[in-house]
Amino acid sequence: MPFTKNPQVFTAKVTETVIGTGDTAVRLGGESVFPLYAFDAEFKNPPILGIDFSDKGPDRHIPGIAAFYEGAESLADIAKRASAAEGASFVSFSLKSADPNGDDESIEESVAKCREVAGAVTRPLVIQGSGNAEKDAQLLGKVAEALEGQNVLLMSALEDNYKGIAVGAVLAYGQKIAAESAVDINLAKQLNVMISQQGVKNDSMAMHVGVAAAGYGFEYVASAMERIRGAALSQNDDMLQTPIVTPLANEVWGVKETIVSEEDFPEWGPVEERGIQMEVATAMACLASGSNAVILKHPESVKTVSTVVSELM
Amino acid sequence: MDKFIVIGERIHVISPEIKEAIGTRNPAAIIARGKVQLEAGADYLDVNIGPAERDGVEIMKWIVPELQRALDNAPLVLDTVNQDAIRAGLEAYNPAKGRAVVNSADAGERISNLDLAAEFGAISIGLLMKKGVPASNDERNEYLQTILEHAMEAGMDPAEDVWFDPLTLVIKGMQEKQEEFLEFIRVLKEMGLKSTCGLSNASNGMPKHVRPVVDSVLCAMSIECGLTSAIMNPTDKALMDTVKTSEIVLNRTLYADSFLDI
Repeated sequence: MPFTKNPQVFTAKVTETVIGTGDTAVRLGGESVFPLYAFDAEFKNPPILGIDFSDKGPDRHIPGIAAFYEGAESLADIAKRASAAEGASFVSFSLKSADPNGDDESIEESVAKCREVAGAVTRPLVIQGSGNAEKDAQLLGKVAEALEGQNVLLMSALEDNYKGIAVGAVLAYGQKIAAESAVDINLAKQLNVMISQQGVKNDSMAMHVGVAAAGYGFEYVASAMERIRGAALSQNDDMLQTPIVTPLANEVWGVKETIVSEEDFPEWGPVEERGIQMEVATAMACLASGSNAVILKHPESVKTVSTVVSELM
Repeated sequence: MDKFIVIGERIHVISPEIKEAIGTRNPAAIIARGKVQLEAGADYLDVNIGPAERDGVEIMKWIVPELQRALDNAPLVLDTVNQDAIRAGLEAYNPAKGRAVVNSADAGERISNLDLAAEFGAISIGLLMKKGVPASNDERNEYLQTILEHAMEAGMDPAEDVWFDPLTLVIKGMQEKQEEFLEFIRVLKEMGLKSTCGLSNASNGMPKHVRPVVDSVLCAMSIECGLTSAIMNPTDKALMDTVKTSEIVLNRTLYADSFLDI
């Protein structure tokens, strides 16, 4: 029997959210097909990748990362180097030192670092907060103010702090925000509803719906993402149509496979290779489940995943 | 399963305010009623200009563009027994936001409204009646076959282009007919056909405080049976909440705590 192609193309589509400005600005979303289903319809904006480093500098204990950033000492130089990473469309800067349960750096210091990085990058910028809801409510507002006009994506607005970030970052300074929920489809929708009730439009939003390293409960992540994309496309649910951005470097580089040494587990081979493999596997799984962008940290993973994506598109 | 379609019923010549607005060709009051219904969640607006035997054509030529211009081309249901007026409305209609709906054809004298809808690529409501309301589901079935045949001859796709109306009967007086009404909605669903009805007819004549709960319960039961749209009052919050909750229970919309506010 001849094969009859029956493409699944929907009338609904994922919202297009732009980050950055000018020629290097990137567009997230915009598709009306399931993730990576390029055989069903052309992707208006294929999935993209970001490369992340923190305000403590790149993780130089990993040789490949140390080599990539070699000679770049100041945050500005590191940011320039990250901007040039092959396959990366944007740069992500994480404010780890701001965590009140860690260094608890002042908001002024964090904002100054953001200015330095923003002044040096040649690609759109994503700012990841401290991870502490209370601190980020104030911190991300101040960062938004300092980087006005650069159209950055701020991560993340949570159930506990979305109001301040939505109003402060988006409505006052025109930045973009990602709504973060932890692998909970109903909460993902609810958070989008609440943020939109503050007056924020879908094209100023993205969502981070949670992540796990491959093999660490990833099936829950996959099913949440698939359900969200299904509702967005087949049920035309506009409260779930914002693009999904998934920072996964921290998750991946925190599991046993990417940490334990080759001396302890000789049969597992070199630790860095394992880390790259875990990062690539997790990133591809996210892209196949629904992420419009993933954020990684090893330049080799970024290059590999971007090659796979461009081959699939 | 597609989303349940709410057709707002409040632009109706029976309302003195609308009657006067049509009479004096002053669109403000009509547009205002349309806007309120759309904001309340209506997907379509029913525009009932009455029999309008004398000036139906002029009224439709005027009211359709006035409403669509003011309301971002909101999709309309053109509701009158005057066929020339429906034609005039279809000629003036902009389908940018959804196909026009002709209200309505039946299995009797008004069956030619199907041809009219087909000519303009519009949807037609198919009333399962001929002269009075159907006395039984056997009658409904007979009218259904008549309309199906005619629609197919007119080149329509009966699964997409006709919304069948099994006719809501008033509960106070025809209580024993309600179960059959629900059964017939199920028949339509099983045949893969779309359906609609004038929901609030069922509670006609009941005390004011009773009507919202009756309308809501009948609505939920009908949706469960497979009703795909209804002509109803979208500004009745209890009724709209019922539609939204039904879609949640039937897993057609993803739940979120604020689902009633969307």
